[in-house]
Amino acid sequence: MLARNETIIKWALYAAISLLCAGVQGAVLQRVELLGVIPFLYPLIAAIPATFESPTAGTAFAIGAGVFCDLLLPAPLPCFYTLIFPLAGLCAALLAQSVLPAGFLCSCAAAVTAFLFTGLFHCFLLWLDGKTAWGPGICTAALEALVTLPAVFPMTVLYRWVYRRTHLDD
Amino acid sequence: MKNFLKNHGIWVLFAGAVIAAALSLMSFFSASPLVDITGVLASPFRAAYTSIATWFNDKQAYYKDVKALEAENAALKKTIAEMEETVRQAQADRDENELLRQLLDLRAQRRDLSDFEAATITEHSVTNWASSLTLNKGTNHGVEAGDSVIDSTGALVGVISEVGYNWSTVLTTVDTDTSLGARVFRTKDLGLAQGDFSLMSEDLLRLDYLPSDCELLSGDLVETSGLGGYFPSGLVIGHIREVRLDDSGAASYAIVEPAVDFDNLSEVFVIKSFDIVT
Repeated sequence: MLARNETIIKWALYAAISLLCAGVQGAVLQRVELLGVIPFLYPLIAAIPATFESPTAGTAFAIGAGVFCDLLLPAPLPCFYTLIFPLAGLCAALLAQSVLPAGFLCSCAAAVTAFLFTGLFHCFLLWLDGKTAWGPGICTAALEALVTLPAVFPMTVLYRWVYRRTHLDD
Repeated sequence: MKNFLKNHGIWVLFAGAVIAAALSLMSFFSASPLVDITGVLASPFRAAYTSIATWFNDKQAYYKDVKALEAENAALKKTIAEMEETVRQAQADRDENELLRQLLDLRAQRRDLSDFEAATITEHSVTNWASSLTLNKGTNHGVEAGDSVIDSTGALVGVISEVGYNWSTVLTTVDTDTSLGARVFRTKDLGLAQGDFSLMSEDLLRLDYLPSDCELLSGDLVETSGLGGYFPSGLVIGHIREVRLDDSGAASYAIVEPAVDFDNLSEVFVIKSFDIVT
């Protein structure tokens, strides 16, 4: 059990790293196009910290990331990311708890899951709108995941550093 | 010696007088030999201390010159900086002037578009799922959601979807959330121009709900119909690229290439109000 100030420091550092990633996304990655898509770090912000935390805490952090994205990005629904990121965070936390131990491999799996969820939700909303695009949608999500995967490694290192700094006894 | 002066003193005095008289006489025609000799002897010393003094004077003057040049250099640098600032300002003014001239031309061409707001694009598409632009004008300049956005040629860029105090987001004509009443200029056929996700990455859109008897040609101009009064009529959307049959095979739709190059767009105009032309 962490002391209250340790807990506050941990989540503040998670938030600071997430803001740094958002800054990199806005300043650099948004202007880069690889394989016809822009690398997209936001699903990683929801998924990777959750792999180090419990499902509840991971989901809560993912909700925060979702709200942040909804405030910042255009989306088909006003609460698009707030709805889908918690699911990605929960899956990432469960994945780390029961399938793969938290680490690079787990972060990669969580990232792919987050992109899959986000892409499928986009496609679902397009389908609801009568503009079915399952094929191109899944293709876009896959390309997005592919070009963003290299960013999983530095982000995992950063989030893991915060986790280890605050969980010295674990 | 005492005896010598006693015996020859008068002669010595005389000789001295003669020499003095001779020297006085010579001094009428040239410098006194004594003065001359003294001058000759003093000349190297005089030259030496003159050169030392000159060296000191030169050093002093050099120091003064360096100081003056440094001051002048600093003043010139300041002047150059001011002039560069003026040039930059002139460049900005020239760009603004060009923009306002375009706006003036546009106003002259389209009298129904009564109120424009020039805006700069601050950000292009931020996700792979939407085609959007962020502008630097918002509610503080009277921009509202639903306003049409055009470029300097009068071609439709998109529609304002979200507005903040000093920013607004435009969904471009190729975005999946954009639907516009459209008309083919040549045939007057009406349809619905809307974004399609599979075409969005290629910056293309669809023209749906075309009449079954329409005969469209590649290159036909597509413009806003203005029906419903949501958007001004006659704004160029793009040109027909090809006509395809839909999945059912019963109806056709056209692929439209927008007239606007979204990637190279930097300045746009928001139409804040317009007169409905019937």
